[in-house]
Amino acid sequence: MSKELDLQNLEPVIISLGSHPGIIQSMLDYNYCLGHSAPNLVAIVSAGRKQERFFWGHDEIMVPVYAKLAKVPEQLRQQATGLLNVQSARRVLASMTETFELLPNLQVANIFAEQVPEVHALQVAALAEQHDVLVAGPASVGLLVPGVMKLGAIGGTQYPQLVAANIFSGGDTAVISTSGGMVNELIHTVTGAGLGVSFALALGGDRNPITTPAQAFLLAESDQRTRQIVYFGELGGDDEYILADLMKSGKVTKPVIAYIAGTVAGLFDQPPQFGHAKAMAANQSESAQAKKEALRTAGAKVMDVFGELATDLSAQAETGSHQAKPHRPIKQRSKAMIVSRISGDINGGVHLLGKELLSVVNENSLAGLDISLLLGQQITSPKVIEFSDYILRLLADHGPYVSGAVNTIVAARAGKDLASSLTAGLLTIGPRFGGAVNAAADAWLEGAGSDTEPKAFVAGFTANGGIIPGIGHKKYRIDTPDPRVKALTEQFSNNSNGDRYLKFAQGVEAVTTSKKANLILNVDGTIAAMLLDILESELDYSPDKLRELVDIEFFNAIFILSRSAGLMAHYLDQRRHDEGLLRLGEDDITYIPS
Amino acid sequence: MMVDMPRQKLSEYRAKTIISKALELPYKGWSVDIEAPLPAQLQSAIEAGGTFALKVDQGVKGRFNQGLVALNVKAADLVEAAEQLKSKGYQWLIVEPMAEHAPGDERYISFMSDRLGVMLQFSASGGVDIEKQASSLQQVRVNDATDWEQLAQKTAINSRQLQQLTQAFLDNYFAFMEINPYLASENGLQILDSAVEVDDAAAFFVDSWQIDDFRSHSGHDQTPEEAVVKELDDNSPASLKLSVLEPNGSIFLLLSGGGASVVVADEVYNQGYGKQLANYGEYSGNPNAEETYIYTKQLLQLLLKSQASRKVLFIGGAVANFTDVNKTFAGVIKAIDEVADKLQAAGVKIFVRRGGPNQEAGLANMEVALAKHGLLGAVHDPDVPLTDAVKEALQEVDHE
Repeated sequence: MSKELDLQNLEPVIISLGSHPGIIQSMLDYNYCLGHSAPNLVAIVSAGRKQERFFWGHDEIMVPVYAKLAKVPEQLRQQATGLLNVQSARRVLASMTETFELLPNLQVANIFAEQVPEVHALQVAALAEQHDVLVAGPASVGLLVPGVMKLGAIGGTQYPQLVAANIFSGGDTAVISTSGGMVNELIHTVTGAGLGVSFALALGGDRNPITTPAQAFLLAESDQRTRQIVYFGELGGDDEYILADLMKSGKVTKPVIAYIAGTVAGLFDQPPQFGHAKAMAANQSESAQAKKEALRTAGAKVMDVFGELATDLSAQAETGSHQAKPHRPIKQRSKAMIVSRISGDINGGVHLLGKELLSVVNENSLAGLDISLLLGQQITSPKVIEFSDYILRLLADHGPYVSGAVNTIVAARAGKDLASSLTAGLLTIGPRFGGAVNAAADAWLEGAGSDTEPKAFVAGFTANGGIIPGIGHKKYRIDTPDPRVKALTEQFSNNSNGDRYLKFAQGVEAVTTSKKANLILNVDGTIAAMLLDILESELDYSPDKLRELVDIEFFNAIFILSRSAGLMAHYLDQRRHDEGLLRLGEDDITYIPS
Repeated sequence: MMVDMPRQKLSEYRAKTIISKALELPYKGWSVDIEAPLPAQLQSAIEAGGTFALKVDQGVKGRFNQGLVALNVKAADLVEAAEQLKSKGYQWLIVEPMAEHAPGDERYISFMSDRLGVMLQFSASGGVDIEKQASSLQQVRVNDATDWEQLAQKTAINSRQLQQLTQAFLDNYFAFMEINPYLASENGLQILDSAVEVDDAAAFFVDSWQIDDFRSHSGHDQTPEEAVVKELDDNSPASLKLSVLEPNGSIFLLLSGGGASVVVADEVYNQGYGKQLANYGEYSGNPNAEETYIYTKQLLQLLLKSQASRKVLFIGGAVANFTDVNKTFAGVIKAIDEVADKLQAAGVKIFVRRGGPNQEAGLANMEVALAKHGLLGAVHDPDVPLTDAVKEALQEVDHE
């Protein structure tokens, strides 16, 4: 446990391993109610999504979600001083081991899971000691430092509970408990008696809590705000004897008021197991009664009846010694169904990308507006806009022979309407037609990003029996190149300062064309590489941000946008001719009877 | 008590299988469910003749002194011997071919896990009366500085096997491993009896044992109500525990939270009502309304079965951090609604004290329901101290 830890001056920057919306929201609420300017929970590590929505007061905010702790940006990992771990018990050892490596400035952590194997908890305890981190848990509701931070479910998971617990300002009584429910009960008892809490720590009811009662007592002794300690312990284990020794030897000098649960065990011949893993007396010395006596002998005030605690604390409280501090209140709020970063109404007027609709329309070219909408931000770089404009023009149509146009034409001649015929064409876009831009961007991002040699990259693909997206064309060959690729290359050299993805793609082409002449870098692969380069060099997109564009299929969006014009042109053209239903002739089909 | 323990006793059969494998020793024995047909291999061993040792395999201590062991059982008498052990209220046996030895050779060794690692205890005077030989026990902490050769001399187990035992203890997430007695002769190590407790939280990380290998014996037959709750608990991410202490008790507890439930039970005991306490149990970890409904239904069945003249139900807990009071109480209320007339006829009063998420709605709904059925003792929020509410409920029953 941290020797230097100064609870009252903690500057919490918290990462959550796993997501427990109720607990996280209550931490943010506490954070907000204290009047802090920004949320102290900065990231969630969880699978399956990129951000999670929470309230910050009455506004909705997005907390970024990362698939792995290692994916959390370095800067945030350096800043993190707090960790909430709400992952399952089986992952605790692995995730905490990683945490201690990746969060060098971590000071406090809470492990929520029950049923962590004992030896895993001990291994985490050893690491915590080595890295000087205070860990509440396993099976703990966390750590509360009133006025500073709520880490975990402690104090409640709903705003009215936080208010009822009266924990927005601190006091002089430390609450230390092996039980999660009882830590909250004790917080209420302390504040209800007119005192305040200096900090409250739920150690967790496991046999081997990572932070021991003795360590918690020493923390209370060194905490400048704490005047006295209220302790809830249970039968089982020998912790209370260690506490008694600390008190007798003068290492803990602050007054201790304690309740040790489990005298009811005296009813039974066989030592019973109560609700917590630890609560099992193996012999007489581990009984609640014996431990109470040990603490009494060491000078603690030990209550036989839990309710006497409240009486004792009330007697101590001077009138008004702990008044409820006004906090920033939270009123009724409700979650929106949809979050949009593209557009929405502000004061009744439509806004696009943060600006009033008409001003956006007036300030942008069509290509400029389209690329801005697709990227979700107003793009001002003339090079990006010019290059986008060129691609949009280039991809508009490539003849009535291609799958998309054929489908649109067939649908149009069958008498279908515009929207149906257009979608019939669009539905052909996939890995073999038009839809390879995204897959190619994925490949170039992976290849160039991992510094793989093009030759090894190709070998990797062929070993898996795959075809490389963005490579190969039905019609064009190395000796009869695609004129669009040539034109793109010219356009690109005017518009980009970076070309590492294009270089990589061309390196791949050099390998593949040495095997087969039509395995050229095709127009899909070229566009993918060039877009990656131009976004990186002109708009400072990081590899992670480019990866996100691949994941959300941005690169295919450009093709679909452009080609939609061509497909609609074919539809309108067919409707003008109005030739009637298209039917294939017998020669068009080879029938092989089975 | 039948509450699930994080440390579980493994069947001796499974313990010996694991230990023998670690020591590269052959092991011959059978785990027998007396209520099921005999395993085929044991059947053929019986047909081949010989003598056997039968022992109750349900984690019971002091089996020999309790007469739960049958030695030198002839093949022809095996089934009858098993039936006799069954009649004492047991289901699981371990059956092994009988091994002859002189009593003086019996030794003791045990491994125990604690916060500092593994503690090894041993004695040259093992056997059924080891508790009386406490002074002969020596203990050594296992760590990098352990002198295995010296230990080998003291235990008469060679240093390689000692280290294999230690490794098996760690690899299999054992919390306690006792081999008592064992025989050490020129022929090597022979394990006669062994007892192992495992950390059941590690079930995911091992394949040498499973939950099926856990053995326990409650001392009383599990009531159908306890069995239902056990089943419920096994299939829920939340925790739901119920143990009957006195079937004809007058004080029934429906409690939430591992800590608060003990505080409430303590208070009953401290006030001198311990003998009238019918049950202990708790639910925690935010169970859903269906789960609290089933749980409450079982508890109310027990309450209605009790022959006590005055009966009281205390529904209580601390101020929950995340368990939803309204949701969990919805299940409780539904179960009360179903047997309200019977409860009323029995003159049962119900007292409630609880806090936590949505406590206002939960407590209000509870109060309305109890008043409607004429069962209302009192309903309190956390402004009333937990133990004060218990005291109030205890006024309803006669002091012993």
